[in-house]
Amino acid sequence: MAHISTSDSAQSPDAALKPLLTVRDLSVEYRTKSGRVRAVDHVSFDINAGEVFGLAGESGCGKSTIAHAITRLLKPPAYTEGGDIRFQGRNVLELKDDALRAFRWEHVAIVFQSAMNALNPILTIGDQIVDVIRAHTGMSTRQARARALELLQVVGIDAKRIDSYPHQLSGGMRQRTVIATALALNPELIVMDEPTTALDVVVQKQIIDELQQLKKQFGFSILFITHDLSLLVEISDRIGIMYAGELVEIATARQLFKNPRHPYTQRLMNSFPSIHGAKQEMLGIPGSPPDLIHPPTGCRFHPRCSKVIAGVCREIHPQLIPLDATHAAACHLVNEGLHDAN
Amino acid sequence: MQTEPILEARDLTKHFVAGGAMSRQTVKAVQNVSIKLFPGKVTAVVGESGSGKSTVVRMLARLIEPTSGQMFFKQHNVLEDKGRRTLLSYRGQVQIIFQDPFSSLNPVHRVGYVLQRPLRIHHIANQKRQIQQRVHDLLQQVSLIPAADYAVKYPHQLSGGQRQRVAIARALAVEPKVILADEPVSMLDVSIRLGILNLMAKLRDEQRIAFLYVTHDIASARYFADELLVMYAGHAVEGGDTESLLQDPLHPYTQLLISAVPDPARGLRTAEIKIKGEIPSLTAVGDGCPFADRCPHVLPKCREAMPPATVLPGKRWVRCYLFDGK
Repeated sequence: MAHISTSDSAQSPDAALKPLLTVRDLSVEYRTKSGRVRAVDHVSFDINAGEVFGLAGESGCGKSTIAHAITRLLKPPAYTEGGDIRFQGRNVLELKDDALRAFRWEHVAIVFQSAMNALNPILTIGDQIVDVIRAHTGMSTRQARARALELLQVVGIDAKRIDSYPHQLSGGMRQRTVIATALALNPELIVMDEPTTALDVVVQKQIIDELQQLKKQFGFSILFITHDLSLLVEISDRIGIMYAGELVEIATARQLFKNPRHPYTQRLMNSFPSIHGAKQEMLGIPGSPPDLIHPPTGCRFHPRCSKVIAGVCREIHPQLIPLDATHAAACHLVNEGLHDAN
Repeated sequence: MQTEPILEARDLTKHFVAGGAMSRQTVKAVQNVSIKLFPGKVTAVVGESGSGKSTVVRMLARLIEPTSGQMFFKQHNVLEDKGRRTLLSYRGQVQIIFQDPFSSLNPVHRVGYVLQRPLRIHHIANQKRQIQQRVHDLLQQVSLIPAADYAVKYPHQLSGGQRQRVAIARALAVEPKVILADEPVSMLDVSIRLGILNLMAKLRDEQRIAFLYVTHDIASARYFADELLVMYAGHAVEGGDTESLLQDPLHPYTQLLISAVPDPARGLRTAEIKIKGEIPSLTAVGDGCPFADRCPHVLPKCREAMPPATVLPGKRWVRCYLFDGK
């Protein structure tokens, strides 16, 4: 089975900084009728306090599964098969009942892509925020409502909307409501899984700008998951690139943008046309992401890679190799120093 | 060197009636949109959800009838032709590709069958051998090779990108002059979107097909389109040569839209445009410019009437009072 070493050198440049969340060798499998699908395979990364950590990859690469594993929301047929997740030193995978309830909302909040499904259609948005607050604190309904009002204003929703039902709000306002709810208990980490994918670019921009303001104000960390690499490069401090269940490159946003080392990252970067600069022909990536029931041998990207080394890439599974203190890539070219020659 | 447009729409308007007898409302989906498509050129329509861009496609494909306006195919007014025959002949020249290749292909039929249907309906090929040959040619044109293997597959055995290629092959089957592509890549994985856009660019160049490319992704419109039309709340607000329009957007909405596109190449956030408000409800659009309530440069007359199109050098035009009379 595939294996990526846990390379500490790929973590924060500031060694004194204690990570808020550490994920080590995390593996998650879906046990389906047609076989076991290893959706996440030995993935390791850290998220530091106050940091935006981005995870990017295409559909089926395992990025959402990681979000679910961290928040302990995996449901059968998905099972955590191995690894370790620690939040402020505590073992997340062993949290039970009350401790897990407190962990979710009070320490880690979640914002999913579809705000429509995250909100209860028969409750007003005010009541839903009040519910979350009351379930976790000793606040009275009145106090909680006052707090809900404050939160809605923080995310730019007019106070008079507090008694609106979700269907009366636009998509952008619904997603803001979900973000307000996530902020309710001042969590240290907010996991955001494609939070703006269903929104138009202008609304996306509004929400991202507000989010950055809120982050400055409250100091939480964000795990931001999206397939939109250009958005991720703009907002993240560090980024991990996933392919077929594995973390294939991890770097600061700047390094990733200026000097991506894994051929998949390079091709992915080159899959987003820009609205500025010289117009050039772009190729995207030939082929399709692999079937994870029967993943390719060796490097999982080799069937789509234009830089395959004969006798190596098809046979040997590459490990994540540190390039410097903040940059690591899982590619044989990096290992052999052949990369730049190509 | 541009010749006559192959397909031209003038002042297309579509109003839908919504609600019951007691709460009747008019949804002004598209208002006075004009568009020209030229052989071997791509015209992109960009806009957000609810801007009316898909309604424009549906009218051009004659899936719905416009409330008012005119449509000309090779200078012939097509809206005057009502019969099934003429509609069939129109569809033989103007084809459509939908956003979702998972629902646009019938799951119970093999790819070969999907591609035979238009050949038979439009009497392009009748003999069995001729049809099979043509099906294989089509699959090769969209790079589904070996064609014989793909012809016998069912849609569920294909990836999203491959399905969209089948949808393109189906559109090509009738040898159309125009292809209307409604968000053809937005449901696909990012790594395969460019492959589809490049394929369509090849068809544009080699077969001189006129494309209408509808998208919310301006960067992909820049990549693929020769001309651009920007829509907002049912109105076409600005149009012209893609490069010129994107480098120097004139309409305040176009400026807002472009500033909102994430673009790491732009470097650290420059010239921020503060965004206010949301797209108005299409039942509440008045006679004025629909962007007036959000516009930083709004004038009193903007709320009274939609500005006329101001034609500018370089095939540019804009509907905004800031440029009226210049």
